[in-house]
Amino acid sequence: MGEFEVHRVRFFGLVPAGVRCLACQPRGSRLALARTDGAVEVYNFAANYYQEKVIPGHEARTVESLCWATGDRLFGAGLNGDITEYDLSRLSAARGADGGGGPIWSMAANGTGTQLAIGCEDGSVKIFQVIPGGIQFERNLDRRKGRVLCLSWHPSDTHIVAGSIDVFRVIDVTSGQTVQRIMVNYHVEKVKRECVVWAIALLSRGTVVTADSFGRVQFWDWQQGTLAESHTVSTSAVLSLAVAEKEDSIVVGTSTGATYQLQLLPVKLGGSEKRWVRTKPFQHHSHDVRAVAHSPTALISGGLDAQLVIRPLMEKVQKKGYDTVLRKFTFPHRRLVSCARKARLLLFQFSQHLELWRLGSTRETGKDGEVLPLCRMPEHLVQLKSKGPEHIYCSCVSPCGTWLGYSTASRFHLYRVRCDGVSLRKVPKVPKLLLPAYQLQFSADSNSLFVASTRGSVHVLQLLEPGGCKHLHTLRPPSGCSEAVYLLAPSADGHWLAAVSGDWAIHVYNLKSFKHHCVVPTYSCAVSALAIHPSTNNLVIAYSDQQLVEFSIPEQQYTAWSRTVQRRGLHRCWLERDTPITHITFNPKNPSHILLHDTYLFCVLDKSLPLPDDSTPLMNQSTLKQLPETARKRQLHAFKICKKFQPLLFADLLDENSLVVVERPIMDFKTQLPLPVQQKKFGT
Amino acid sequence: MAALCESFTLRGPGPGGGPGMSLEPGPGPDLVLLTERGRAATLFKISDQKPLGCWSVKHGQVLTCPVVCNFETHEYIAVHDDRVLRIWKNEDINLDKAFKATLSADVHRIHSLPQGGPVVLFKGGGVRTLDVLLEAPQQEIENVISDEAIRWSGAFMESQQPVVVFATEKDGDFFVYVQKPKLDSLHKYRLEPQESSKPLNFTAYLKNQTVTLLCLYSNDSVYQVLIPLQQDTEEEEQILPKSLLLNLSVSGSVLKGTSLVVLDKDHVAVLGSLAAPDKEPKECLTIWNTKFQTLQTSKALPLGTSGQLWCYEEKFFLTHGKVLTVIMYKCETSSLAAAVGKLKDSQTPGVSSFVNWDTLEGEDLVVSFQSQESVALKSESRMNLRSRRSNVAKVQPENFSVGQLLRNLKDAPTNVLEKELKQLMSKTQTPDLQAAIGSVVTALTNRCKANPRYYPQSFLLQIVETRDLSYSLCPDLMPIALEKRDFYLLQICLQRFPDIPEQMIYACLKTFLSISDAYLRMTEVDLDSVICYIDVEFNNKGVKTEIVENGFNAELDQDTCDTKIPRQSHSKSDVESCPIGPHRAALLNAILHSAYSETFLLPHLKNLPAQQVILFLRYLYYLYVKCSEKVNTTLPGVRSPTINQIIDWMCLLLDAHFTVMVILPEARELLSNLHKFVRAQVRFYSELNKIEGSLRELQRLNHLRDSQTYSIEVLEII
Repeated sequence: MGEFEVHRVRFFGLVPAGVRCLACQPRGSRLALARTDGAVEVYNFAANYYQEKVIPGHEARTVESLCWATGDRLFGAGLNGDITEYDLSRLSAARGADGGGGPIWSMAANGTGTQLAIGCEDGSVKIFQVIPGGIQFERNLDRRKGRVLCLSWHPSDTHIVAGSIDVFRVIDVTSGQTVQRIMVNYHVEKVKRECVVWAIALLSRGTVVTADSFGRVQFWDWQQGTLAESHTVSTSAVLSLAVAEKEDSIVVGTSTGATYQLQLLPVKLGGSEKRWVRTKPFQHHSHDVRAVAHSPTALISGGLDAQLVIRPLMEKVQKKGYDTVLRKFTFPHRRLVSCARKARLLLFQFSQHLELWRLGSTRETGKDGEVLPLCRMPEHLVQLKSKGPEHIYCSCVSPCGTWLGYSTASRFHLYRVRCDGVSLRKVPKVPKLLLPAYQLQFSADSNSLFVASTRGSVHVLQLLEPGGCKHLHTLRPPSGCSEAVYLLAPSADGHWLAAVSGDWAIHVYNLKSFKHHCVVPTYSCAVSALAIHPSTNNLVIAYSDQQLVEFSIPEQQYTAWSRTVQRRGLHRCWLERDTPITHITFNPKNPSHILLHDTYLFCVLDKSLPLPDDSTPLMNQSTLKQLPETARKRQLHAFKICKKFQPLLFADLLDENSLVVVERPIMDFKTQLPLPVQQKKFGT
Repeated sequence: MAALCESFTLRGPGPGGGPGMSLEPGPGPDLVLLTERGRAATLFKISDQKPLGCWSVKHGQVLTCPVVCNFETHEYIAVHDDRVLRIWKNEDINLDKAFKATLSADVHRIHSLPQGGPVVLFKGGGVRTLDVLLEAPQQEIENVISDEAIRWSGAFMESQQPVVVFATEKDGDFFVYVQKPKLDSLHKYRLEPQESSKPLNFTAYLKNQTVTLLCLYSNDSVYQVLIPLQQDTEEEEQILPKSLLLNLSVSGSVLKGTSLVVLDKDHVAVLGSLAAPDKEPKECLTIWNTKFQTLQTSKALPLGTSGQLWCYEEKFFLTHGKVLTVIMYKCETSSLAAAVGKLKDSQTPGVSSFVNWDTLEGEDLVVSFQSQESVALKSESRMNLRSRRSNVAKVQPENFSVGQLLRNLKDAPTNVLEKELKQLMSKTQTPDLQAAIGSVVTALTNRCKANPRYYPQSFLLQIVETRDLSYSLCPDLMPIALEKRDFYLLQICLQRFPDIPEQMIYACLKTFLSISDAYLRMTEVDLDSVICYIDVEFNNKGVKTEIVENGFNAELDQDTCDTKIPRQSHSKSDVESCPIGPHRAALLNAILHSAYSETFLLPHLKNLPAQQVILFLRYLYYLYVKCSEKVNTTLPGVRSPTINQIIDWMCLLLDAHFTVMVILPEARELLSNLHKFVRAQVRFYSELNKIEGSLRELQRLNHLRDSQTYSIEVLEII
């Protein structure tokens, strides 16, 4: 097919924030995750664990605990002392309420999801009622000295256990009185260090499970105040704990990065007496595992190494599928890089700043695999710090490289980049828009900017020379929509714009008439990337379940090729891939080519070639390279896959034979993480 | 390796015993069924050594074949008075009331097969399964064999079909019949006749649709006969060729076998009497490895046996004296090492192990051994032997081989013998060259034994140096060399033989350590392994200032101070100079080089006198320190011992003489020095370990740095 000159970029210094807490939606298919920078993410298990929603963080907002309440409402609480409800359709922190007890260390929702209990710095446990439109303080429970680090409701909502330092107590919810107070080190002699109860759970049979900084998981009979079982799972602290809904399995996370499963198993086969047994150890993390969750079929853990690990319990899985394989997520399922093709600029988005780089160049050519000598080094042009405490939602650089925009939760900024790329000038008087913007996209001719907004709307701004802009129009879906738009795709000829909102509906607008053109037939999975073909105006859509469709915008129907793909089915290896496609682009010189990538592969999809069936190998590039020209013909198939660049955060075509790929080697950012707990290794 | 384990009595001296006895497996594990003296059958539980039940026939009736157990129904089947069949169950007490069927022909034997039910073999050669027979007990049974007598029979299951194999004899000719009663197929074969000997006992096993029949012949050999079961042609009387599997001879003595059983694919057990020419024959039970032709183990049975041997569930059953004895055994997969690793142990009577690498003709082999034996005999018996030898020689006069030549040369003068042997060695191009040379060396050693003044040192040396000999080929060579104090030959042997038994290694070690320095200085020894590192000048102590150059002298000094022993006193005497002379060191190096197994060597090493232990340990310590002087911890020179060999021997010595070392006052200083040195080394290496970790990490980081943050590469997509 041809040779590409690949600009292999590894200077994007992204350090994903560590995972602070996890919350499985009760009886739902979503997982909420909060990072140490305050960002909250929602993963959808039904859509191949797609990172469906991201609410960027805020300097003043840390999240110590997340709770789902009344089904699908998500609350977070943190050390700023507020309880925050997240608006998942507008992807923002909606309402906050002061907890009134200083920093909040822990929060737990009751079984029905109608009440929230928070554990505060001042040692109080407070109950809040979840009411429509917010929460309401209900009452204080018995206050004792010592911050409440962890909380758990009894499944019948009658009692709450609260863990602090060296002690945990059981509180009767109706009377508000502490009915039992247990020193976790009572039976251990001469302990100098304090013992922090990091996580706690109250089981329906009256057993209290504690995880503490001595590396123990202990089971207490709270009514008797006795220790029933004690398992020392680690030499360092056990930081997190989660119980399966059936209460037959517990997962704990430790500060060495190991997670352990404990299971309630009969002492004798078929016997009725059961004991907790530490069954499976896992070492998927290199750093503290601060958060664990136990879904009905999987153990989920999140560590300070920014990894989310979903480890399926094979005994609970009925049939083979996407969720029967160990999944590790380190990088977001969306683009943090944008590229000015003509100007050869890259814009990197960090949580609170942007970096603009100019790519280097070479005069040489070479054969496959050769590294060409550089005649110009890449250049770091500008670092743009976002003002204020809010983190950046989205950013974009125009294809010509002269415009640059980004948005935070409350502000939208547009800059003019001077030709030499060294100075930025802020565009004054940007129109007041309904913020935040979730996606920014410049048109191919850099004359207009599309701003993805709430309620399914897209604002179209006209960019004016030398440095101004005006609001042209707001595109809205005719039937209305409550969810925000999170992906945009303008056509190269400036005729069409496709927009995907949180309800996974894809609306296509005619930009000439600013009219709604059509809706792509809905599919029951999240859209992870889409793009409009420059010459045919076909919309290529990648779904998070790895399906690919091609929809002709002028004809308002799926193309023949797309129907063939659907009829034939995609290759099994393609469908079993780990991460979703995050970017689609085209080769203007070769209309049958579609370029796509996910975190682990870069693929050129040649529509003119036959589709591979399951019996032929999907990755055949290395085989093909060994074959003589004549023999290659028969082996060719549509998917030309290159796995050389990993983990791949971005790939785009600069011109017909040069590519840019942005990699972020795991080791590069691991070295920037704080040192993990020192473990004695033999000989070091 | 196969080994005989403990034995116990299953049944004490009873009225029974004698050849009228038979054992069959019982209805379950750990059970055997004993039929004796024509009257009674007894069920024994082996592990409890007690009978569980006994059934006997009425007076006047005689059990005419062994009682068997139907493994499927757990019924017992007996035949009395040749043609009355009885079937009963465990709970039946009175045999008279048991099921009875009278048959129309005489029964030879009933074979019970685990999955096929019992099969009845009639004296006329007819075979019926019990089911068929019971349908019509009076059915006519054909006569297959005319007037041959059944000598042996066996039954197997082959592709769900019972197969009965039996051997018959008529006028010295032996025939084998294969019958498949369910297929009505019958094959008759004739056994290839063997001159002057006839089969004594048979045993057989089935493998890959072929029955392998092992025959114990009266010429003390075991032959193997393969009988294919998938035979379609109905040819008359095919002749079954036989091949020699095993020769039952043990360093000159011959085992006159009476019965044999197969243990596994490589092992057979033979019960018989070991007859040495000058000794009383004694009965013993032996296990032989057929793959390596070695006697693996044996057990003397001084009270005599009935000649019968059974084997079930890894246990032998035999009548020893008047009691029924059970001998357990273990039989493991044989490897060459296991087969040759054991030495002929002269101290344990009755147990004799021997490696027979000879691939010479069977008859010849016996002769050569007899001649070897005869050499050692006194001259007066020579006449007698010679006559016997000539008798044997007449048997195969046309075959002139190495063995024969050696025999002819037995009495030749020394110079003629050596000349002839040299000629023979240069001539022999046969595949059994190794074996022939082995015989040559054996012939020489035999002559040495016979004539104490005769010792062809240079000739032996030449053979050992030029040929790839092994200990097992000439087991007498090293003992003779040891006896003659031919240290040079011993050194060469130690360096070259791969399979020296631990006992021999020990004997050499002991001699090397005990021999006087004056004697050693006069002997010629290969000093290649020592010359490069040993301090020949003992008085030149001042030259050496450093014990080790690895940078832990301070450590050593400090430790020395702890014990308040002046450094001068120990370092000069123990470490700096070699505690032994170069000749002895060279010999000990040869010992260090030889291969050994710790388990076998350790018991011998325990016998080493304490003074010699200390001397050897001192030398090892010296070597150890010498090794540590170099960064690569190797000694210079050819065939110098490696650090691993040194350390292994140190450990061995310390293990073997732990208590002695604790008690002995002169060992104290040596041990404390050794300990300090080892401790310093351990610290040093643990430091190295740390450095290694850091260096690896640095390497890794370097590697990371190498991968640049930006590059333009060419990617071809096809």
